[in-house]
Amino acid sequence: MVRSAGKNELLPGTLEMLILHTLKNGRRHGYGIAQRIQEISEDVLQVEEGSLYPALQRLLVKAWVKAEWGTSENNRRARYYTLTPSGRKELGMEAENFDRVVAAIARVMRTV
Amino acid sequence: MSFIGEAWRRFMFLLRRGQMDRDLAEEMRQHAALKAEKNIAYGMAPDEAQHAAQRQIGNVTRQMEESRQSWGFPAVESVWQDIRYGLRGLRKSPGFTTIAMLTLALGIGASTAIFSIVNTVLLRPLPYKDSSRLVHVWTVSSMFPEFTLGQSIPNLQDIEARSHSFETLATFEVRARNLTGSGEPEQLRTVEVSPSFLTLFGVHPIIGRDFRPEDEQRKDGDVVLLSYGLWQRRFGGDRSIIGRTIMLSQQPWTVAGVLPSGFSFPGNIDALVPRNIPPGNRTERQAWMYTALGKLRPGVSLAKAQSEMNGIAAALAHQYPQDATGIQFPLVTLQDDATRRSKPQLLALLGAVGFLLLIACANVSNLVLSRGLRRQREIAVRAALGASRRRILRQLLIESLLLAMAGGVAGAGLAIAGVRLFRALAPAGFPRIEELRTEPVTLLIALIVSALAGILCGLAPALTITRGDLNLPIRDNSAASSAPVRLFSLRSFLVVAEVALALVLLTGSALMAQSMMRLLRVDTGLTTDHLLTGEMTLPKALYDSKDSQHLFLERLLQALQARRQFSGAVLTNSPLLTGSVTVTSFNPALLGSTEKKTTIEIRSVTPDYFSTLGIRIQRGRIFNERDTAGALSVALINEAMARRFFPGQDPLGKPLKFDADDKTPSQIVGVVADTRDSGLNAPPRLQAYFPLLQNPSERVYILVRSSLDPAAAIAEVQRTVWSVDKDLPLSKTRTMGEVISESVAEPRFRTWLVSIFAIAGLTLTLIGIYGVISYSVRQRTREMGIRIALGAQSGSLLGLVLRQAVVLTVTGAVIGIIGSLLLMRLLASQLFEIKPGDPVTLIGAVLLMMIVAVAASWVPARRATKVDPMIALRYE
Repeated sequence: MVRSAGKNELLPGTLEMLILHTLKNGRRHGYGIAQRIQEISEDVLQVEEGSLYPALQRLLVKAWVKAEWGTSENNRRARYYTLTPSGRKELGMEAENFDRVVAAIARVMRTV
Repeated sequence: MSFIGEAWRRFMFLLRRGQMDRDLAEEMRQHAALKAEKNIAYGMAPDEAQHAAQRQIGNVTRQMEESRQSWGFPAVESVWQDIRYGLRGLRKSPGFTTIAMLTLALGIGASTAIFSIVNTVLLRPLPYKDSSRLVHVWTVSSMFPEFTLGQSIPNLQDIEARSHSFETLATFEVRARNLTGSGEPEQLRTVEVSPSFLTLFGVHPIIGRDFRPEDEQRKDGDVVLLSYGLWQRRFGGDRSIIGRTIMLSQQPWTVAGVLPSGFSFPGNIDALVPRNIPPGNRTERQAWMYTALGKLRPGVSLAKAQSEMNGIAAALAHQYPQDATGIQFPLVTLQDDATRRSKPQLLALLGAVGFLLLIACANVSNLVLSRGLRRQREIAVRAALGASRRRILRQLLIESLLLAMAGGVAGAGLAIAGVRLFRALAPAGFPRIEELRTEPVTLLIALIVSALAGILCGLAPALTITRGDLNLPIRDNSAASSAPVRLFSLRSFLVVAEVALALVLLTGSALMAQSMMRLLRVDTGLTTDHLLTGEMTLPKALYDSKDSQHLFLERLLQALQARRQFSGAVLTNSPLLTGSVTVTSFNPALLGSTEKKTTIEIRSVTPDYFSTLGIRIQRGRIFNERDTAGALSVALINEAMARRFFPGQDPLGKPLKFDADDKTPSQIVGVVADTRDSGLNAPPRLQAYFPLLQNPSERVYILVRSSLDPAAAIAEVQRTVWSVDKDLPLSKTRTMGEVISESVAEPRFRTWLVSIFAIAGLTLTLIGIYGVISYSVRQRTREMGIRIALGAQSGSLLGLVLRQAVVLTVTGAVIGIIGSLLLMRLLASQLFEIKPGDPVTLIGAVLLMMIVAVAASWVPARRATKVDPMIALRYE
């Protein structure tokens, strides 16, 4: 699960979108993806390993990311994930959709 | 497209699953290492840092498992897993697997075999082009109320002119003709047909030509079409046969063509000849002797055609009140007509075999249930490890499906053998038997039946086993709780159902067997021991007049009587005990009786007929050698006829007229006892006898009594016939015993089959009862131990266990009796002199079932009395 600090679960499919987003500007390994999400969200979103790896496998099956082994900055073997063109397209679509949903939720929340 | 691409990637991932797995494991290890490094950076000791990282990550195995589910086809894989698990489980308990598999194989094999027979005989279209559009056009007349007649030529011409339903109409008549010339004379089964006959069936000769309308006129001599079989058998398949002449009935016929090998109608035929309508029959509306077939136009329904025929019949009745009053033209599809007699039998067999399958399923269901209850701990462990109820249910169902499939494979083998056996043993004349073979469709049926059986015998136990708290067996240590078999448990229900089903099978087979025995014991009023029979047809060309027929018959009779090997020899014009009968319309008003018009059986015989067959003379005299051509016409009547038309009068000396203007009526000279000369199951009819020599016939049946070996006697009869006419073949030579045995071949065959199914069902039920009672005794070991410790006698313990079996059996028997009473009515038409609800049969079946139940529970009951109280109490 991706847990926010208040232990609330995210909308389904959001984790995949977040992962794709972290890969937008270059390759990362799994640990890096989790760290990046935590970092940007200022520790509000913490990605558990039990959710991260199944999500990555799903993205692999959909061919939105591809994986390859490489060496990390501190000379460790690491498996790096890269966004594929179809993954980039998917990210665009999902981001757009996400904006619409968030805007809609915000509108609902503002009305009494 | 993306869906296909994804499926392809899943498939590729599946193939590289080892690599994927290793990558994932490595990746997660690195992840843990990175996490530990971060912990160290926060100031933890290396050891502690690693432990903390592992703690944070949690159950790696489970996470890997979840990741893996993203690849491949998780649903398919888990089913595959269940299958492998199920196979392993079945292999581990070979006893259970073997018994369950064999039981299912029996049920599936028997029902598949019978179903494929039903499929071939009743359901598959006849092997003719557009066979669904072929119909018989019968005549029913109020003059012959119990018979279905052919068409007369004038009526058929009117039907042809007035109806719009038919594409083609044709007629046929089967007639025996003797083939002579090359080799031994042989009696052929020829069919006299209208020129449109082959057109109607959509058949063309493979060589030569079809009949043409002018062939009927016989301007260029007689032509014949040979069957493929006859062409091969007698003429070696010689293609130059076309245009050659063969001798049929002592006349030359030109071979016009040869029929294709697949075509044969009606039944096995040797040759087709054009019909030859005598001038009298062209105008006689009551000469209903031409069996008519019609091919409906495409799109014309049977009902529509029938209503048109009803209209035509009514119009003809109005137009020709003398000849056509009370006639109807019922249409019957060729398919229905061919299978009319075997249909009820086959349906009875299908019912019996269906019951057997249900009993087999109930039995296996019971076995699966027992096994499942023994495995409750295993199931509890699986549930505790996270298997959902659905998953466990699926696992159990897959196991029983596997069992059923294994049973199905064995059953398919059994079905193939069964169909072969049926083909070999089926009585002669069973319709379409030659088309019967095992086909892919049979195996498909076996597969479907297996799947259904698997679900049927697996679902209820699976639901029962997974009901309630799955964890209970782990917590509850006393697995051997002392609950007796409850009357409303699934287990009891299965046994009750088995008993009920087996009882219905049992009553069915008992009724059939008794009907069969009564049929064989029936008194025909005829003495038939050491009697041989044979038939022949006098060719018209040589025996064209009554005088020549008379002369032949007289010489043949003398020749036969001169042979010392024969203690009796008689001739008659109708077969004996074959189910066929010669009848004529009879108007009792001509005898001064007030009875309605009816039909009477007629038979012409030589004088010794009555003494040879042991028929008693009641009054007057029988025929003698002076009752011959030229002498006063005489007749005998049977008792039934005397009682019916001459109550309280003396029939002797009265004239027997069939026609108001009969100038030379036969005088009744005697009354003889009633006989069942047409067949065992046909009650005696009103009957009149005439001297054969006053009424010669071209069709002659020889009856000879001889103490010789039958084969030798038959050869002797044939030699005698040849001594009178060297070209005359004798056919259908058999002993009377064989004739009788053949006439009951069908019911006997059916009785045997149903009895085998009933015995199999009873055996399965015995096993079922045994299984349930021994399970119950095992469950109650502790209770039995306590009872023995408290001083219970073995007799009372025996009673305790047996009572259980008896309660279940009686419940099943009551349901079975109700079922029998309802279902056996469907058998009524196939039973001879026994009512479907015969109380003796029902009581006998119930008693047999009780004996089986007590026998089945005796062994477990004895075991209950031998329980050692100390062991039983320690049994926990």
